[in-house]
Amino acid sequence: MTRLSPRFTGVLVTISVLAVIALVVRGCPSPDSAATTATAKPRRGGQLVASARGVPRTFNRLMAGDQPSDMFAMLTQGSLVRVNRSTFEVEPWLAEKWESSADGLTHTLHLRGGITWSDGTPFTSADVLFTLQAMYDPKVQSVVASSVMPGGKPIQATAPDAATVVLTYGQASGSGISLLDMFPILPKHKLEGAYKAGTFPQAWTTATAPSEIVGTGPFVLREFKPGERLVFDRNPTYWRTGVDGQKLPYLDRLVLQFIPEQNAELLALQAGTTDLTQSELRADDYVPVRRAEEEGKLKLIQGGVGPDADALWFCMNPEIKKGDRRQAFVQKREFRQALSHAVDREEFAQTVFLGEAVPVWGPITPGNKPWFSPNVPRYPHDVTRARELLKSIGLDDRNGNGVVETADGVEARFTVMTQRGNSSYERGIAVLREQAAKIGVAFDAAPLEYPTMIERLLACQYDAVYMRPYFSNLDPANNMDFWLSSGSTHFWNMSQKTPATEWETRIDTVMREQAATLDPERRRELFNDAQRILAENVPVLYFVAPRLYFAHSTRTMGVVPSVMRPPILWNADSLSVAGP
Amino acid sequence: MARFLIRRLAFALVLLLCTSSAALFLTRLAPGDVTSQLGPFVPRAEIEAARSRFGLDRNPVVQWGSWLSRAVRLDFGDSFLYNRPVGPLVVRAAGNTAVLAVSALIVSTFVGIGLGIFTGTHRTGWLSAFVRGMSVMCISVPPLLMSLMLVFIAARTRWLPTGGMLSAGTVDASWTTATVDVAWHLVLPTLALALPIAAAFERLQSQSMSEAVRQPFLLAAIARGVPRRELVWRHAWPVSIRPICGVYGLVIGSLLSGSFIVEFVTAWPGIGRLMYEALRARDIYLVSACAAAGAGFLAFGTLLGDLLLAVADPRVREEIEA
Amino acid sequence: MRIAGAVLLGLILLAACAAPWLAPNPPNRRFADLLSAPPTRIHVGDGSPAPHLHPLRIVSRLERRFDEDRATHVPLRWFSGVLVSADPDSGAPLLLLGSDAFGRDRFSRLLYGSRATLALAVLATLLATAVGALVGGVAGYAGGRLDTFLSRVSEFVVVLPAIYVALALRAVMPLVLPGSTIFVLLLTIFALLGWPMVARGVRAIVLVERDREYAMAARAAGASPTRLLTRHLLPAARGYLSTQASLLLPAFILAESTMSYVGLGFPDSTPTWGTMLQDASNVALLGDAPWALAPAAAIFMVVLGVNLLVQSTGHAPVQLER
Repeated sequence: MTRLSPRFTGVLVTISVLAVIALVVRGCPSPDSAATTATAKPRRGGQLVASARGVPRTFNRLMAGDQPSDMFAMLTQGSLVRVNRSTFEVEPWLAEKWESSADGLTHTLHLRGGITWSDGTPFTSADVLFTLQAMYDPKVQSVVASSVMPGGKPIQATAPDAATVVLTYGQASGSGISLLDMFPILPKHKLEGAYKAGTFPQAWTTATAPSEIVGTGPFVLREFKPGERLVFDRNPTYWRTGVDGQKLPYLDRLVLQFIPEQNAELLALQAGTTDLTQSELRADDYVPVRRAEEEGKLKLIQGGVGPDADALWFCMNPEIKKGDRRQAFVQKREFRQALSHAVDREEFAQTVFLGEAVPVWGPITPGNKPWFSPNVPRYPHDVTRARELLKSIGLDDRNGNGVVETADGVEARFTVMTQRGNSSYERGIAVLREQAAKIGVAFDAAPLEYPTMIERLLACQYDAVYMRPYFSNLDPANNMDFWLSSGSTHFWNMSQKTPATEWETRIDTVMREQAATLDPERRRELFNDAQRILAENVPVLYFVAPRLYFAHSTRTMGVVPSVMRPPILWNADSLSVAGP
Repeated sequence: MARFLIRRLAFALVLLLCTSSAALFLTRLAPGDVTSQLGPFVPRAEIEAARSRFGLDRNPVVQWGSWLSRAVRLDFGDSFLYNRPVGPLVVRAAGNTAVLAVSALIVSTFVGIGLGIFTGTHRTGWLSAFVRGMSVMCISVPPLLMSLMLVFIAARTRWLPTGGMLSAGTVDASWTTATVDVAWHLVLPTLALALPIAAAFERLQSQSMSEAVRQPFLLAAIARGVPRRELVWRHAWPVSIRPICGVYGLVIGSLLSGSFIVEFVTAWPGIGRLMYEALRARDIYLVSACAAAGAGFLAFGTLLGDLLLAVADPRVREEIEA
Repeated sequence: MRIAGAVLLGLILLAACAAPWLAPNPPNRRFADLLSAPPTRIHVGDGSPAPHLHPLRIVSRLERRFDEDRATHVPLRWFSGVLVSADPDSGAPLLLLGSDAFGRDRFSRLLYGSRATLALAVLATLLATAVGALVGGVAGYAGGRLDTFLSRVSEFVVVLPAIYVALALRAVMPLVLPGSTIFVLLLTIFALLGWPMVARGVRAIVLVERDREYAMAARAAGASPTRLLTRHLLPAARGYLSTQASLLLPAFILAESTMSYVGLGFPDSTPTWGTMLQDASNVALLGDAPWALAPAAAIFMVVLGVNLLVQSTGHAPVQLER
């Protein structure tokens, strides 16, 4: 019998069925999306669906600073001024115009007339005073308060009338008026009761009924299904009008779907279930998105170079690391400079981000346009120089095992923590290991889950860590916690009582001065100085800053991408839907 | 019978208590806590304030004690992440998972056991080999990949929604429209969850059936001239179903931990996903409540499995009634 | 068909043992200019009679497009340390299954990965099966209190998701663990996770078997419980055990990658099939790069082989089908 055995036939059939499925899936032509008509005037109406991975912790922006809560506040509330996330200019918002005194201590703001809250109550200066009072109240413990304290003192506010607010700063602040973008103005008539009763921190939690959440933003909350979605409807009393004269927002409704898995989020975008995402695309996502763009389903846009760069640093807290003999050379700047020389940043960009990244040598990247300084000292890829630097501090490979050590045998071997589950971190650490190995420094990678890593970070229970630290604000005066040696986010040696090194003292001085200077040119000069000192002493090694790519559906119009988060929804009131 | 049920109920309560307490302790023990979500780039004072607000600076045993005293009054604490009592959150999510689990169970039971009977009685033939091949494939693909591939197929062909429980357009929809919408969204996660389980059932049933078919009593029945259909269904199958009944309860119980990947990828708002996110955020009270819900699922599942076993075999029934 | 299964498994085992000789490239060698490269095409003729390769040049990194440099011929080397390879330093390494996102040779990693993966999964399966069979047998035979106790213990083990335990373990362990410690740790965890499934099924079978005539006869003849269990009752569960083992094996292979997500995985230098599959989770790219699914195919082969091996032979005393 020449018949094939049934078993074999069965296996053959299985494989061929799988192959057919694969071909179908690969070559299945998807229905074309509707042709996009380039409308001159944005269409009013329609809804957009955005996907988000995180849930807001609270609806009360003063109580939590996480990114989803911040975005919620941006959609439903307004601040006195707005810093345009694309041009970085300060725009009048709830305050229409203002005058500042020459010494920068007093600012008189004239509130825009005719603004009402979404429930019809008029917006007045009393709301501003109430918000500031609640924010600075120590019993409330607002997380925003500490970032809005020029000179370490709360801003004093008085209201001569219902449309004017006079703010007095404790110290002249370089950020000036832009500080006022950092918190929304909350309604006094809705929250005063809770504040007087001492339950302000528990007010406006995510369990609050949507009708209670009143704001001056473009949208009002319609419903919140925990874990599923947030639905926003147009705020009919929103004050802003678009450039074409129509009242904003254009959209009737904005839906935020929660999709926790990144690959599934991208698939939903490609399927047309969602119109935009909050996260930037990964380098690996480029191919499928480009293909979708060619099929007319998605639009790929470049946001520019991101403001945050990949960084590696060692914990150099002298007390906690007292017994660690490696600190003897880790604390020497030549060691870190050698490592910086050893890293080929071009190759790093090519491997980790497939070429879509630019080399950087400091925390401020070209994506932070107002503050980037190209004159920061650079460490070109030079393995010989790196080895020389190591030798100059006594590190040499005496026993031929490929790892350098000191004269008394202390090896330059470190465990580097990184966040698990992020492919760019995993690739990055692999490249760093190879390149460090070329000069004899051994890295052992320890990918950890996020909370585990954070705990070790805060307790300095690590040798080195590799990650991309995010600055929430581009203005250096609002990031003093990183620059000042006493700062709590001065990664490599947090919350110092007195500066541990002379260069940290110099940075402290320069940064304090720039925060108190009003002249923008002088501020920039001083800050360039601080960047230079940091780059010379390399407490943190910076490698590359990735270019940010975003994708949205072709029916989404009016997108202005930003390198800050949220990249597209910061401008939600001007988004519209294409169509006939 | 009544005594049996009461004993199982009592045990279920003990299981719930032990599981939620264990979860509470283990989550406390795990490195990091809910303030880690704030990230390292937040002032230390804020972190400390948050910690004390959540009671994370207290001794774990003390915290467990106060949790216990509140739990007996049916107050299971508040979630740090969602800032609301955990009870309603867990009930809602458990309900969503129950819907998913029930449909996955129905699909996998009928498909898996049905196909298993087929391949168990037809050892030769290409169809049988094909089914067995597909089973092997379903159990050797990681659940993450399986779910993602299904989502991908849904995305490309647009036959099914790619995830979530409701479409974005159903905010104002009527009850019937919403139910249809949910049913539509249920297909994908059900498939993703059911396929590996169906494959496992098929394998177990197939082997069990092919053994049962070999038993002497069956040979005797064939000799007596019993028709084939009756042979399979009335004689062989009840015997072959026993080991499956034994593990059925565990399968139901483990649907929960198995469901988290499916729920994660298809954005189904169920308890598996809630527990995973709570664990990631170290939201201890939510974690313990979710673990308790899982224990509840399991206790129910094993009870069901044991009852099924009793139905399948009179000897076991006797034991239960004793 | 059993022979087919045995042959398949034998080949895989051979490949695993002979990995250093069969793998064309070292598993951790990164080819920086060949990220996500397609499998190398071997050419014959065209200037050189011997089989040779052309180096790949990058056309676009972002778009993953490569071009062959037809002018350069790189010959294949035979028996120079490995069976067949091309000089890794020539810019044209032999990538039979292409390279992953780091630029490492997938085929070599597949071969080397089989060692850790299979060693762990096979040992864990054997352990879990042995423990489960023992516990299930004792529970089914003894009945009464002991049975209840063991059943409840097995439920408790199932209901506590392994993730908690893994996270808690991670907290108390030092940051970097040697591969052997991880191996033992994972082995223990998997065995502890796997035995309840086995035990429940065995218990259901033994419960029934112990009242059969042959068992009663053996008891009457004076057989001790242990002898009864091991010589008579447990063998009745042999079919179930082998099938359940064939289900546990792929589950453990896949569970290893979940564990590594929590931080309890092998160090980066040890490839495993489960972690290799994480590369494939960007499913939209699978259409272009289906070779990323090679580990899944490998797992499929292993499970298929085991299934072929354990299934009962195709000849029943009486054929049930026409």
